[in-house]
Amino acid sequence: MKYARQDIAEIADEYVLGLLEPGEQAEMEAEMESDPDLRAAVAMSRERFLPLDVGAEPAGIDKALWERIEAALPVLGGSVDEKSARGRPSNDNRQTAWRHAALSAIAASLLLAVGLGVSLTRSVEPLVIAVLLNDRGEVQAVVEDFGNENASVRLLTDYQVPSDKTIQVWTLPSRDMGPMSLGLLEGARSASLKAPELPQPKDAQLYELTLEQAGGSPTGRPTGPILAKGFAKLTR
Amino acid sequence: MSFVTIADAGFAPENDAPTRETRLAPVANASTDLESALAACASGDRNGLRLIFDSEAGRLVAVAERIVRRRDLAEEVVQEAFIRVWTHARQYAPERGSARGWVTAIVRNRALNMLRDGREDLIGEDRLETLQETDQIDQILAAWNKLDRNSRLRECLGTLDETKRNGILMAYVGGYTHGEIAGRLRIPLGTTKSWIRRGLAALRECMA
Repeated sequence: MKYARQDIAEIADEYVLGLLEPGEQAEMEAEMESDPDLRAAVAMSRERFLPLDVGAEPAGIDKALWERIEAALPVLGGSVDEKSARGRPSNDNRQTAWRHAALSAIAASLLLAVGLGVSLTRSVEPLVIAVLLNDRGEVQAVVEDFGNENASVRLLTDYQVPSDKTIQVWTLPSRDMGPMSLGLLEGARSASLKAPELPQPKDAQLYELTLEQAGGSPTGRPTGPILAKGFAKLTR
Repeated sequence: MSFVTIADAGFAPENDAPTRETRLAPVANASTDLESALAACASGDRNGLRLIFDSEAGRLVAVAERIVRRRDLAEEVVQEAFIRVWTHARQYAPERGSARGWVTAIVRNRALNMLRDGREDLIGEDRLETLQETDQIDQILAAWNKLDRNSRLRECLGTLDETKRNGILMAYVGGYTHGEIAGRLRIPLGTTKSWIRRGLAALRECMA
């Protein structure tokens, strides 16, 4: 067991309050799987603070929210579903998931090879290629950035895009500049994008797909859920 | 190698039910209904999820909104959380605490992760730009006053110094990090961490 017994209550509280650093949080979640005392401490801590959430003034709920949920529900009971649901503790750590996805070098390099294969058949070379993964480490898309205000997005999965939503493509040229939109996809199809004038794409630059309202993010920054993301590699 | 092991390791593991203590008793009687509703979800009955939605969604959107600061993002959080409740309902067991606590924890984790994810890469400064700082903090601190008069948590939070209490509320209710709390309360980071830690210890002792 990783944690001294006298520290368990403290770390459980900090976890429940969301105060752990991402690395500590991941460690703690992994440890919980094998440490029943730690799990019990987390359950107790949650119940201790729950009244603060139970007392929240309920927001007015539009019935459209239920409709969106219902439309997105997978059918339960399939053998695959059952197996994966049983084998996985019910946690919700997207960030760790992304981190893990980023570490899934096997998937990334395989798909990078696919991306390179695609690019080699064309006369104009992209400067960078980014393989975008979802939070499970599954490859979803490849972005090729040509650096001359042209970029292409190749989707490698079927997205169901509701009619009031659109997939928007983003990159982060630098932290100072913040996320920049490369454009919108029509429906869930691969596309060549006319991007705004941006600095020359670099190695390890972040690219991302988010689901935004139709017409694109109202704020000019990503606001919707992240569908896939990945870091670029320079083509050689 | 599985891509989900670490990712999904976490907040409600399955085996070795923890020793149940009296404090883990359901917070409200409504929780028993929620437990049945979760059981219905686990058997594939959508009415179970609808019941949870009808009784909890308004509150859960409010909880998420206090953390992500925007109504549209809060609804997004709740939408994702309900899908997770549906797919993971069979993992719920009373030993993990109340059904309401279990569902709420899923929403909280989603909201915090949206925030932290965004903070680290793309949504970056959004939160600060849109933050109505003073209102926001007032709203967070008001969560304490809104607790039931007889609530043990209310009473025990009341025994803490104001700074410790505020730090704890900002973290739990508003999803603030240590650094953000230090900035808002204008105290050094190290001091913030140790005050919150001591506040949490005092709270545990008071509520034991």
